[in-house]
Formats: sequence, structure tokens, C-alpha cells
Amino acid sequence: MAILHVSFGPQHPGSGPMRLILDLEGDIVVKAVPDIGYVHRNIEKLGENRSHIQNVPVLERISNIDSFNASLGYLMAIEEIMGITPPPRAQFIRVIMSELNRIMSHLYGLSISFETSGLLAPLYWGIADRELFLDLAEMVTGSRITYTYAMPGGIREDLPNGFKEQAIKTFNYFEKRLDEYYDMIFENKLYQMRLKGVGVLKPDDAIKLGATGPTLRGSGVKVDVRADEPYATYEQIDFKVITENAGDSFARTLVRFNEIKESMSIIRQSLDKLPEGPIRIKAPLRTPEGEAYARVESGRGEIGYYVISDGTDKPYRVKISAPSFRNISVLPHMLKGAHMADVPIILFSTDPWPFDSDR
Amino acid sequence: MSLDLENKLAEEIKSHFLEAEVKVQRKSRITVFIGRELMIEIARYLNKKMGFDQVVSVSGVDKIKENAFIIVYHIWSTSKKVLVTLKTQVPRDNPSLPSLIKIFEGVNWHEKETHEMFGIKFEGHPDLGRLLLPEGWDGKFPLRKDFTLTQ
Repeated sequence: MAILHVSFGPQHPGSGPMRLILDLEGDIVVKAVPDIGYVHRNIEKLGENRSHIQNVPVLERISNIDSFNASLGYLMAIEEIMGITPPPRAQFIRVIMSELNRIMSHLYGLSISFETSGLLAPLYWGIADRELFLDLAEMVTGSRITYTYAMPGGIREDLPNGFKEQAIKTFNYFEKRLDEYYDMIFENKLYQMRLKGVGVLKPDDAIKLGATGPTLRGSGVKVDVRADEPYATYEQIDFKVITENAGDSFARTLVRFNEIKESMSIIRQSLDKLPEGPIRIKAPLRTPEGEAYARVESGRGEIGYYVISDGTDKPYRVKISAPSFRNISVLPHMLKGAHMADVPIILFSTDPWPFDSDR
Repeated sequence: MSLDLENKLAEEIKSHFLEAEVKVQRKSRITVFIGRELMIEIARYLNKKMGFDQVVSVSGVDKIKENAFIIVYHIWSTSKKVLVTLKTQVPRDNPSLPSLIKIFEGVNWHEKETHEMFGIKFEGHPDLGRLLLPEGWDGKFPLRKDFTLTQ
């Protein structure tokens, strides 16, 4: 049969600002080549031309949906070069914001993945419930998406009065709601038929090809930066690293779903353990000469920041290793042999975010 | 915090690669600096013998004052939970080194990006074409230090 070349994206409603170049034989994908770069801004170059504090709002835009985690990695790297450690209260609040952001990111990604699997109503449930978490973030930082909340040496402002009560109210509601989600979505036979066994990624391949985050844990590999090299206060918190063994689209989606519950538990523990004290220490404007590689676990996986300082107030080099960059590069492996109709399902089971893959 | 594991791994690398500069930076970070002709050999050793199985990042660094590029591979061991920073240096006027793609398949896009942004050639890489920059880009390398923002 003749090979048909199909451009899936970048103007396709189910692609995001990226493209998959598919070679089809009938409706089977024989080859898939991801084409990224449509939203490339060269944020690494911008980072070299701005001071550390100016870099916070710029770098968090690599992943606006997960912006706190995106800026946190950079700050951890420069704090390591400066040789300073933020006070415990700031560290706990960082964990709280980081997990809130992971929940928002997961809800958004999951909602879209439900839609691409043919479940239209859950798209609106997820987006509507996400508003509650945006409200919590707004309460803390004043903004809903990009916060510029973490600062060198700590955080910008303390938690407002009444945050704990509001957060617990939201979690009490949402934990029950998640059970409904589970029954309606993951127990749905049609949903299972569309996702199970689709886009299988074996654990060895997942590691070798560089998958990260829920894409890697959906293949049964227990790798999570929060557990492997605990930053901030993760060492003092009791949480499970969620994995699923099947390695298919269903497993990857379920990992992200189960992580939401775990994130809420982490925030509950952090609120209980939250010590009194300062939220920031004075950080120098200039970093001494040196380099550091800091990693954080964002919603999509590990964000790595390799920062080199030459002793000025600007970094000499900022390298960002972004999770979607790594996960999208693994897509050809998952898409090979799939049906054309399953392409959006596989694509969104990895929760791609072209803004962070392109930087 | 104990650095026993890191020191042990660093000793093992040192004993097999006498030319390498090995340093334990902190908990779970080891830095190795080695000549480009030994890159393949050390990468194979790290992967096959020491369990470093995932490349998490590849960076180029333009050392314009020293007329050189530094190429940095960050390699993670999912079993040992240690990150090796593997560095090598190439001259700025002949920036090429062997690709590690035969050992770590995951370096594919990372090396492609480093080639696009710095003009560093990875010998043996199957496809060093466009990745992030637009079609019809004039062939300059945006992350080199002599490329300024106003360009």
C-alpha cells in the first residue's frame, strides 16, 4: 500500500503548537517525526542577558501552566552557587506552591486527554475544578498563572490569613470529587478500551530514550526527583511515588490522576508542619563563580537547570532541560504501529507542553 | 550527609581513566572532565559498568575568551541516584566530537539542539538538521557569545 504523509498540526485542534509528521499505511502509523520549535523564544539566551532577579519572571514562562516549578529550579541552582539556604518556613511554602501548581498542571493536561479520548463532559469538569486551585494560588500570590513568587533566598510574601482553612475546604471537596472522576472515567469500559494497550512504552526504553515524569512512572520506573534527591522539605514529608506497570496510555493517565491526591496530602502535611519564622533571607545580587545543576519535579517531569556563574549579577549560561522536550522526543517510539485515531490519545497521554519543549 | 557512595564511584572512574579530572561536587553530584578522544570510552564504561542509564541534559558552553566550547552531559543513574556531569572541551575553530548516540539513545534531540545553537558537530549523529530555529534561518548560532541579542 502507498505511504500517505500527514501533517498533524500545528494548526490542528488536537496538536497544540507543534506538529507530528506521520507516515501512514492505511490507518497505521509507520513512522512519526515530531516537529517542534513553533513557539521557540530562546529563553536560555534571554536568561544570559538578565540579572538573577529579572530572570524569575522570564524563566517561569517556559511552562506558564506550571510556572512556580519552572522558576524554583533556577532559584535552587543560584542559591546553591551563592551557598545560601532559605529559611524552613519558606521551604515549606515552596513545597505547598509547587504541589498546588502540579495539581493545576495535571488537571489541565488530564482534561485535554479526556477530551481527546472522546469524553467531552470531563473536560469541563476538570477545567472548572481547576479554578478552585487557581483561586488558592491567587490568594497566595495575587496572580492565577504566572506568580513570580519564589525569590532568591526565599519567597516574596507570607501565606495570607485564612489560607489554610480555604485550602482544606477545597481539598475536602475535591478529594470526594476525584472519586466521582474515577468512577465516571477510569471505570468506564469505553474509555478503558480506547486507552489500554495503546502506545506502550517499555521500562527499559523509557529510561534509555529519556522519558521523564508520569511518562516514565507510567512504565513502572520509580523515578521522582522529590524522592530521589529531596529538595526543599520533601524529606520531612511522607508521600508515595505513584507508578503503574502497564506502560500504556491508560497507565500514564492514571499516574497523573493518582498524583493529584498525593499532592493534596503533601500540602495538608506541609500546612500542619509549617513552622513560624522568616520567609526570606538576604541574597547577594552577584553570584560567586561556580556552577550548579538543580532539578525539580514539575507536573510533566523533571526540569533541570544547569547554571554557570562568572561572578557577575547575570548567569554566564542557563541551560534548561525541559520535561516535554524529553517526552516528545520519545513519542515516535510510542506512535509506531498505532492507529491514526489513537495518535491524539497517545500524544496527550504524555501531557506535552510545546512551550517548555521549545523554550 | 555521607558522601561514601559518591567518593567510591569517583575512585572507580579515576582508576579506569587516569587522564580524567574527577571531583565530588556535593551529595549525588560528580564532575568528570576528560579529553574528547576518550568520550566514547568513558560513556560506555559509565553506562555498561556503572549503571548510569539516562542522559538528562546536554549543554554547550561558549568559552569565547579561551577560544573553546565546553560540552556537558548530565547522566543520571536511576539505580544509584547519582548524577555525573561529564565534560569535555573542543576548540572553537574546529568544534566537533563523537556523538554518544550509540551508547545513550536519548541524546538524540539534545545533541541536535546543541548543534543548532552552537554549531558543534557530533560525528556519527544520524540527523543534525533543524529542530527549534525557523526554516530559512541565516545559519548563525544564537547561543554563541558573539551573537548579541540585537541581532
